[in-house]
Amino acid sequence: MSRVVKKSPSVCTDLPLDNTDICNKLSLLKQLLISCFGPAGRLKQIHNNIGGRVISTSTSSVLLSALSSSQPFINLIRTSVLNHVSRFNDCGLFTAILCLTLLEQAKQSGLRRNVSIIVNKHLLGLCTSYLQGQNCGCKVKLDFCSSQYFITLAFSVISSKPACVLTEPEALHISKLAVQAFLLTVPCNNTGVARLGKTLTVCVEGHPVLDSAVFPGLLVDMPDIFFLNAENLHGRSLCTVLFSASLAGDLCELGDGNIELHGDADTDSQILDQLLELGKQVVQDGVNLFVCQKVIHPVLQQYLRGQSVTVIERLGISLMESLSQLAGRFLHLFLIPPKAYGKVKELTIKQFGSKTMLHIHPSGESAICTMILCHRNDTMLSELKVVCQKTEHVLRLTLREPCALMGGGCTETHLAAYIRNKSASLLGCSQTEYLLGAEGFCRSLESVAAALDHKCGNSLTDLTHAHYWTLPADVVEDHMENSLGVCGCGLVESCPSKKWTYLNTKYPEFSPAPVSKGTHLQVRVLDSFTSKLSGLQVAVETANLALDVQYIIQDTN
Amino acid sequence: MLGSTIINHRQHVGLQKLSALAEITRSSLGPNKNYKFIQDDTTGESTLVCSCFRILESLELTCSVGQVVYETIETHHRVYNTGSGCLLFLAGAWSHAALECLHRGISVRHIISAMSEGMEICLNVCRQCSISIKRREVSELCPFNVSTVKDSHAHQQLTPRASERPFNLGPQKKLKLSRHFRESESPSISTIHASQLCSYEPFFPDIAHIAETLSHGCTDAMNLVVKASQMQSECNQQDIAFDVTKVVTCVLPGLVEEQATVLPGCVVLVPAEQASVAHHLKEQHLKVALIHGDLAATYRHLGYNRPKGIQSVSDRLDLSRLSKEDTWMEKVVTLLLNLEVNVILVSGVASEKVIECCWRRNILVVEKVKASILKAFAVSTGAIPVTYATQLSKHCVGTGLKVSIWRDLSNNDRKRGTAVNITTDGLNCGLVTVILTSSVHAKLQTLEDQFWACAYRLHWALKDKALLPGAGVTEMVCIQHLQNEAEHDIRNPTESNGVSSQQNKPRTPANPYRDVVLTLMADGLKDYICTVMVNTGVFSKVGARAAVIQHLQDYHGTVGDVAAKFSQLFLHTDTCYNATPTSVESSETPAIKTYDNLCVKQEVWRKALDLVFLVLQTDAEVITGVDRKTNGAQEDLMFL
Repeated sequence: MSRVVKKSPSVCTDLPLDNTDICNKLSLLKQLLISCFGPAGRLKQIHNNIGGRVISTSTSSVLLSALSSSQPFINLIRTSVLNHVSRFNDCGLFTAILCLTLLEQAKQSGLRRNVSIIVNKHLLGLCTSYLQGQNCGCKVKLDFCSSQYFITLAFSVISSKPACVLTEPEALHISKLAVQAFLLTVPCNNTGVARLGKTLTVCVEGHPVLDSAVFPGLLVDMPDIFFLNAENLHGRSLCTVLFSASLAGDLCELGDGNIELHGDADTDSQILDQLLELGKQVVQDGVNLFVCQKVIHPVLQQYLRGQSVTVIERLGISLMESLSQLAGRFLHLFLIPPKAYGKVKELTIKQFGSKTMLHIHPSGESAICTMILCHRNDTMLSELKVVCQKTEHVLRLTLREPCALMGGGCTETHLAAYIRNKSASLLGCSQTEYLLGAEGFCRSLESVAAALDHKCGNSLTDLTHAHYWTLPADVVEDHMENSLGVCGCGLVESCPSKKWTYLNTKYPEFSPAPVSKGTHLQVRVLDSFTSKLSGLQVAVETANLALDVQYIIQDTN
Repeated sequence: MLGSTIINHRQHVGLQKLSALAEITRSSLGPNKNYKFIQDDTTGESTLVCSCFRILESLELTCSVGQVVYETIETHHRVYNTGSGCLLFLAGAWSHAALECLHRGISVRHIISAMSEGMEICLNVCRQCSISIKRREVSELCPFNVSTVKDSHAHQQLTPRASERPFNLGPQKKLKLSRHFRESESPSISTIHASQLCSYEPFFPDIAHIAETLSHGCTDAMNLVVKASQMQSECNQQDIAFDVTKVVTCVLPGLVEEQATVLPGCVVLVPAEQASVAHHLKEQHLKVALIHGDLAATYRHLGYNRPKGIQSVSDRLDLSRLSKEDTWMEKVVTLLLNLEVNVILVSGVASEKVIECCWRRNILVVEKVKASILKAFAVSTGAIPVTYATQLSKHCVGTGLKVSIWRDLSNNDRKRGTAVNITTDGLNCGLVTVILTSSVHAKLQTLEDQFWACAYRLHWALKDKALLPGAGVTEMVCIQHLQNEAEHDIRNPTESNGVSSQQNKPRTPANPYRDVVLTLMADGLKDYICTVMVNTGVFSKVGARAAVIQHLQDYHGTVGDVAAKFSQLFLHTDTCYNATPTSVESSETPAIKTYDNLCVKQEVWRKALDLVFLVLQTDAEVITGVDRKTNGAQEDLMFL
């Protein structure tokens, strides 16, 4: 007998931004994310309630994937930021915090929603064109002739994640490795379509960070090296064949049907014969390295080894892809057309802690490299791995747009000062409304910068370049210029003639000046241009979308 | 659904948990460890544990801090096999220090920067205190003696001489020559360059002596390590003094502890029937086959998918036909007999039928052989491991294996009754088996742990080619350096901070709390030393503290002396408690008897501080998958 289950009606929330529960959750989320922001950010221990693995992190990609909410409105913002992160891998926290602050400011300003949206849209356009323009005062052109800026960029990303627990020399070491890996993946003598290579990461737990290294080519874990014949390896170019199909000697997937076999038939040995046929042909063709993504039948392995062919099995899809790029060939099928062989320069054995690895050197340039990451424990290592991937991505983005933004909060305060100085009249809102909206926008930007400071100090901005400064809480105002040191990005030095103002206080409008070229100071913190720009856009657009939401209708069945 | 707790800043719960956890390890520090019983209330089972790692392993830690701690200790133990207790203790002591800093209103950033600096100071001390064990020339035992630099300001250092001085280890008895010299007839000898000579510079420390200083109270275990290393170097052509990867342990309950010994090759326990085969085969040169997998008809290699949906049909009923297994068996046995195989070492299991069949033909089948042992025998006998027995051919079979019966233990256990020793004759592969015995079954795990701790201590010492003065001396020097730095800050408060700030970043504002943090860090180390002293049983808690403080005061500003004299203090306790004081001790020679590993100590300290930093910087827990209905009552959870 069937039973009719009564359907419960859908839940409709009117004007979600006026809902106290949603507002509380938004502010909780904001508080959570702000506390993670920047190099002095706090970590979150993420675990499930049944005692699963504990992750200590402050990285947006890890954090936001764990922070799912019962409230669709929160998830809307979360997904949008996660989308940005999956595309650019950086500036996730910036995006989320800016978006949440914009919503808060819009609410506080008391402006009509559509007015806020118009103003935000306009100001986003203003920021975008300023940042992309020639005379942008917070941009640094990257010079590919020197690695200095790239190391700074990498260092900024790596040192912004305290869960890696790196000392400064360690962070610098990893930054250099990241840049080295990045350079190795850029093909240089390529005519036609250039294709960026790939960095593979191998994690080795329990060893000092300074043991981390980058190698051109591939490093493959070899758990059972007693099959490896060291004499076969060195010093000669190896003809290589790659299989992605399983050579385990079993029948492939049969589907749902049944097969009837004669009692005497021995499928296993017949398939094995086929495999050995294949082996014979390969040996005839002079192959020295036989690689399979999946399992190779032990008998075939034994035969090949007997013919002094080096055999690697169970390589996995991602390594296989890189290897095919390295050797220049990929093969799916059983039958081998004679031209389908790749080339590998040589094989050597490398030892990292307890891991024994086979190093496959590329013949010629391959743009494939392997990064060995070592760290003292798993928690920190997994964060380091995420951060390194992020760094790789950030460095790659510089190829698209060879510039970087001044980090450490300076870009945000600089943009805010720039916007304040620009006046505009917009269709659909009065001048007062515009000023109110713009003030909210600027304050949002400034509060992202201020979020970098977690020690309850004071956030300041100077009245010439509009860079970001922090003043420790316990400093008397008379000694201000002594205790300020340098600005957030490290490009401006404090001097007696300089004037500062606290953030979120009224200050006279001025046009922020770019930092003069003659400064002896080196920029210390850089942000990725492309991902910050995108983050800005995503934040404003998401905020606008959220402002535009009238109803939330939830099917509770 | 998500819940999140915000940790109160002044009373950092995470740090409190960490320092509470560390209390566990208090009694397992130092050479005299106390056993602990851990009882499971639900099952009524209990375990006897001794080391910090085993305690943590037996406890089910559910809190997130506990899991992070366990993860760290587990990783450390897997790689280093020693120092876990020290790691946890210092993590606790320093988290206590961090808590104290928070109480005093010092910001997290300042705590971290000052503690990192403190760590740098300590690691530097380690580097400077380390004593090279590269052998230079024949000379008598020289005591650890560090000269002092009286000008004790920010740059107080030990003289570099300390690190240059070789750790001379008794008269050289035998000068073993490297392979280059052995082939002295060959004309190539004249072409060897000086650089080559350098790389072959003999590195033959007197292992026994180094080992003794590293035994840390486990003299018996260390004696076994020394025996193992001697056995390895006897049968080894290479100049490797001790290869820890080629040591295996075999644990035998029921025998008294004095019967622990070291044997070349490997030792396996076989049932009575197999033992008779072993009897038959002893004192013969045997042929061996190595099977990497199971020895059974139905076994298929890893990654082989058994076909589903296959039906076997036959056009006639043939009852006389042999089953598939019998056919396979016949094939295998014929092959084995043809190849004259006497011993089969199997990494997996062998089916009973095979074992029985082989037994009848006097072929010894040994199951569950570790992959490392298989590998060692592959090298030494020339056998090639195969997955299927049917793959065996002439060149897969190794020769020169020997089997002997080490001991018959069959009266109590018929299943695993006889210990059979399998070796290769002639030059061995360096594989050595250490047999650990105890009549108390619960103690075996501890004995095994102690053995491995000793083995790895020796291993790391040889790898570092250096040692650190032990028995708290290094820590003592660290305390002094930390305190000196702190005092320097108090004396010159306006000046920018000591060593590190002069090297980098002159513009960073000085850390006003550096002196407090460094002092508290030093207190953590003091606590460590005191605990070790108390654990020796000679000092009371108060007495140990007083002795340490007195020493620091007496030798204020003179680093070397504090080390030497402090070691004397400890030596006294050592002789009281070491069962076998080996070296002659007189008041004139303040030789340090206890040494520590350089790299292990440095890693342990760093890891301990890492833990503190990880926990200190954490301000909230994010718990995923929380059901609001069930956990809604918990007030400290906030839902997103």
